[in-house]
Amino acid sequence: MLRGQVSIVNDLGLHARAAAQLVRLASGFSSRIKLLRIDNAVIADAKSILSVLTLAASKGVVLEIEIDGVDESPAFSAIESIFANGFGEM
Amino acid sequence: MQSRLPTISVRELVESVPAEMPLEVLAGQSGLENRKIDSPRIQKLGLALAGFAHYIHAGRVQVVGQSEISYLNQLEPERKNDALAFLDVDKISCILVTKGLDPPTELLALAAEHGIPLLRTPLVSSIAILHLTTFLHETLAPQMSVHGVLMEMFGIGVLIVGDSGIGKSECALDLIGRGHRLIADDSVRIKKIGTLIEGSAPELIRDFLEIHGLGIVNVREIFGITAIGKPKKVELAISLKRWDEFEAIDRLGIETQEEEVFGIKIPKFVLPVSPGRTIATLVETAVRIYMLKLSGYNAAQSLIAKHRTMVGS
Repeated sequence: MLRGQVSIVNDLGLHARAAAQLVRLASGFSSRIKLLRIDNAVIADAKSILSVLTLAASKGVVLEIEIDGVDESPAFSAIESIFANGFGEM
Repeated sequence: MQSRLPTISVRELVESVPAEMPLEVLAGQSGLENRKIDSPRIQKLGLALAGFAHYIHAGRVQVVGQSEISYLNQLEPERKNDALAFLDVDKISCILVTKGLDPPTELLALAAEHGIPLLRTPLVSSIAILHLTTFLHETLAPQMSVHGVLMEMFGIGVLIVGDSGIGKSECALDLIGRGHRLIADDSVRIKKIGTLIEGSAPELIRDFLEIHGLGIVNVREIFGITAIGKPKKVELAISLKRWDEFEAIDRLGIETQEEEVFGIKIPKFVLPVSPGRTIATLVETAVRIYMLKLSGYNAAQSLIAKHRTMVGS
């Protein structure tokens, strides 16, 4: 199991299209990928768009990621980089 | 899985308390935002006014009824000021005057000076406390979110869990087609109220379902209001598993498995998913089996008993 933190860096935050991108990316891995928002106790499955949207994560929000499975390390770096490059909006 | 103990501001209390309990703010408006309530229990201010002043619990609503008002009113003006001066104003979240009584001017002045919201309701103390604690118990219940689908089936809250992509939402769609109701898809908000757990949809995704290939579907618009369920006690869990992950199938169904949700154990059925198995039919049957078990019938035990008689053991 890998854990880490990512921040939302793009101006629009984790909006619907960004969330769809994230879900598409996450669904390509077999590992279980969870996103947690500590400040309001919301937990989301990165492979489900509705679940990701309930995070209501705007710019500056920090999310914890938890990845568990056989392909956890490539999944971790892929998820980390999609957040770091602001879903291609930077 | 995270949980939290929520707090609400006095403003939120005033704005969201049910209509059966009218509230007006008499003084101390400046404290509405920063004074918080974090306990569903209330406290009567009587003892504190009589001098046992350090016994005020922070984070509770302080109730002032007929007895407190009469007590204050029979005091000499000087003693009345003393009684109020002893109060630890930082610990008082807000004061609720019941029965539509008029609080003494000294209390109004104290509330205004320190920004302690002074509220009033026309209800008598007993009824006001009943409404207030019920409301606060629900509002301040610890909550968390779980990944899954919550359905209302035959009046029972059924939580369907399983890995993403296994077909939980498609199963929900099938169940809606059979007349069951969707409460929440993908992300279910769970509240622990005493020993029961209540599930509802986060406001944002209420009515919505995501189906691979169709995208976001608004269930209320497509199927109508009867397809949507209200927040419900979660009684039964259905766990969908891929056939290859499924070990040790209980072929008889004698053992009852349990799923722990937020520290509360509820019965669970684990259903293997594979092509050709109609999950909705299986889920529906599981709920019927659960209801039968509740009423005292267990098919496996009944068969075993018949078999035992037949073989004469």
